[in-house]
Amino acid sequence: MEENQKKPDYSVNILVLIILMILTAGEYYLGVISTTNIAGIMIAIGLLKAFFIVRDYMNIGRLWTSTSVSGGEDHK
Amino acid sequence: MSADTHQNSLADYRNKSINNRMGLWLFLISDSFVFIGLFVVRFNLMPTARPELSQVLGLIVTTILLVSSVLMNRAEIAVGVGDQKTFLRNTLFTMILGIIFLLGVVGVEWPLASQHISAREGVAGSIFFTMTGFHAFHVLTGVIFLFIIWNNGRKGLYTVERHFAVEAAAIYWHFVDVVWIFFYPALYLIGSKVIGG
Repeated sequence: MEENQKKPDYSVNILVLIILMILTAGEYYLGVISTTNIAGIMIAIGLLKAFFIVRDYMNIGRLWTSTSVSGGEDHK
Repeated sequence: MSADTHQNSLADYRNKSINNRMGLWLFLISDSFVFIGLFVVRFNLMPTARPELSQVLGLIVTTILLVSSVLMNRAEIAVGVGDQKTFLRNTLFTMILGIIFLLGVVGVEWPLASQHISAREGVAGSIFFTMTGFHAFHVLTGVIFLFIIWNNGRKGLYTVERHFAVEAAAIYWHFVDVVWIFFYPALYLIGSKVIGG
């Protein structure tokens, strides 16, 4: 297995982590300070976080392109 | 095995993986309707209130689950490029974080919440324990799934071309994370009136 090794690209992985952490911190701050109903904002933040995970970690695009997570084509 | 036979076998595996991937996503979509139902019930029964819970503990377990998702993604990338060591290490860490998440919710948050709310009486308790219990059961399933692929990975069963099981485990784990992304604010943050406080 080791002889086939390519250099992995973790840049998207790190970028999404940073985005998720910032959004989660913002969500927590809003939840703690808010005295009114903020359900709409919270759900919007949740949808944004889910979008990044579904697109970049779950790689939903593979359903249509059949491309592996490391970038190689499934169909050759 | 001749080169042609190997190519045909690989093509078969890829075709099967495409079907399996579609099946997995259909399963997750159907499973998500149960979670959506719980989410809707929470806002119908407690539109402006939330249960008395530790918001800091909620943030900690949420962060643990997010980080576990990042590590699982790294494990999947690693197996896709043939980096067996990184794959095994990240899968193991993901599993450990999943277990810590379970201990945080079921072992710490549940006893703490039980001091204010009850699963037997009151809307807040029923909602909280049903939502977190159902989600925790999915996390437990995910941890078992991760253990299986970790154990198989140790035996060298996954290659650069053949690792759909790892992809499936990763997708399932991220799904569990996505569910918590909505459950966390719904239970810990949304609602001006606190029930059980």
